Amino acid sequence: MADVLVTAEGLGKTYGVANPTRALDDVSFEIGGAEFVSIIGRSGSGKSTLLNMIGLLDTPTDGTLVLEGNDVSTLDKDGRSRLRNGLLGFVFQFHYLLPEFSVMENLTMPARIAGKPAGKSETTYVEELLELLGLEGLAKKGANDLSGGQKQRVAIGRALMNRPRIVLADEPTGNLDTENTEAVYDLFRKFNQEWGTTFIIVTHDQAIAQRTDRIIEIRDGRLVQDVRTAYGSPVRLLGEDLPQG
Amino acid sequence: MLSLRIAMRFLRTSPVQTGLIVAGIAVGIAVQIFVGSLITSLQANLLDRTIGSASHVTIVAVKDGDPVAFSELVKNTVRSSTLVRTVVPVRAVTAVFTKSTDNVPLSITGGDLTNLDTIYKLTERTQRGRASLGDGEVMVGKDFADKYAVSPGDRITLSLPRREAVNLRVSGVFDLGSSAANTRTAFTGPGFAQRALGLSADKYTAIQVQLTDPFTSKAVVADWQGHLKVQGVRVNDWQVENKDLLSALASQGSSSYMIQVFVLVAVALGIASTLAISAVQKTKQIGILKALGMSDSAAGSIFLWQATIMGVVGVIGGIALGLLLTTGFTLGTAKSGSGFPIVTKPSFITISAGIGLTVALLSSIVPTRKTTRLDPIEVIQNG
Repeated sequence: MADVLVTAEGLGKTYGVANPTRALDDVSFEIGGAEFVSIIGRSGSGKSTLLNMIGLLDTPTDGTLVLEGNDVSTLDKDGRSRLRNGLLGFVFQFHYLLPEFSVMENLTMPARIAGKPAGKSETTYVEELLELLGLEGLAKKGANDLSGGQKQRVAIGRALMNRPRIVLADEPTGNLDTENTEAVYDLFRKFNQEWGTTFIIVTHDQAIAQRTDRIIEIRDGRLVQDVRTAYGSPVRLLGEDLPQG
Repeated sequence: MLSLRIAMRFLRTSPVQTGLIVAGIAVGIAVQIFVGSLITSLQANLLDRTIGSASHVTIVAVKDGDPVAFSELVKNTVRSSTLVRTVVPVRAVTAVFTKSTDNVPLSITGGDLTNLDTIYKLTERTQRGRASLGDGEVMVGKDFADKYAVSPGDRITLSLPRREAVNLRVSGVFDLGSSAANTRTAFTGPGFAQRALGLSADKYTAIQVQLTDPFTSKAVVADWQGHLKVQGVRVNDWQVENKDLLSALASQGSSSYMIQVFVLVAVALGIASTLAISAVQKTKQIGILKALGMSDSAAGSIFLWQATIMGVVGVIGGIALGLLLTTGFTLGTAKSGSGFPIVTKPSFITISAGIGLTVALLSSIVPTRKTTRLDPIEVIQNG
């Protein structure tokens, strides 16, 4: 793999000291640029823990994790914050927009955190983003004035604001109806293909997982399957008894 | 400055909460300015009424009743001090005014009017008649004049210690601001007391001195006592003679400070509790901002900015309200004629503003630390 963005080696996570719980155990993989990856597994299998570690929201207790050449164990809190802001974009199951701010302000928040001044190029970029997200004319609306699907699309736009190389999505369609689920998948795929952004999507939804290029399956904290799919062709998942999303 | 912008937006989106806390700070600062200025002005007024027209340091003979010479040594000692505002050598004599069955003792201070004015402000305080201490003239107090129906132009007869009777013309009636002083005190020219006491031209009963700052009297007395020991004189300090007044002023000052401290503590607790509630209310937003890459220090400074903004606005409002209260009080009491002006010193306003801001900033310590320590994963996992 020429352009490796994420390298996990023997990654593990144990919660608690008195009654330790092993949430993730000896997980190793590499994810490259422009990949479109899903992580699947039952509830409590450790897939969200893995995603949170890649997103620098949680820290591994074992193994090493390298993001775009940065060994995360060597980073201090500010260094982790900077990497989270510049390299990564997040889309969660819940949109997590800031209700006090407008669509435009929510969208550009990662740029403001990075200290980038608002200028003409940003305006052009935001307009392009809004058009791609189907949110034209909503820039000045309050975050709370949008529908559920619109809010999730703003959250996707916010994740892409700083042109991150990796977007992490944790059950991004979990709260959406079929129509909006399709719209979100199409957007992910569009940005992946047109901008070369790597997407790592944690999902319960087998239909979504089947349409990604690579499926990593986690069971009881261990990586049990890491398969590449031909786009659109079904793969037999070891965890086919997963509840349907 | 993203933290400042977020802080302002948080404040704007909770207008009632923000308004209440700003009002709390404003009322606290206003009370501090009003109570502080009121007590300070009241003390200054009391002090002025008590010792404003009295000698701060008095040079008298060691033996009571003996005259004191205004010698070159005394003149040089007194005039070399930069703390002295005015020096008035006086001759005081006690006389008795008799009206029907009443025998009223009067303390008559004899001296040059221009000189006496520097301490007693007789010209300024003349209510009826005119300020004049020519030969054969006497000025009496308002309460004495009212009680014994004496008016300017009237002649009064006084009995002197050697039992001789003198007849003087009342030139004016003054008001020294104290009923006791207005009843018992009278002023004559320098010649009258000199003759009554049989003193030579350089002899006086006392050398009265006023200082630019009355509270420097202790140091002045200590210095002069050393210089003037050889002259057989004693140097009296107003602070020693007015211990009760000083003790009352000190108690009043302490109670004023206590009130101000408790008001500030109440303000601090109000801000701290509101900011703590705000920090809890905004936990989700802070967690999201951190997940998006905001640093701990930048997230923590949001509540520091909130406290600063509310502190600045509250302090400005408090100063305006405080000045309004002091002006209202001064105008109200001036109408009734019983009051005194409250003087609000710019330095006191500056100190109050500084204390108000410091209190606001200190109140933000807890929410700032809580925000700084917040782990975004807690918010993300708990929804």
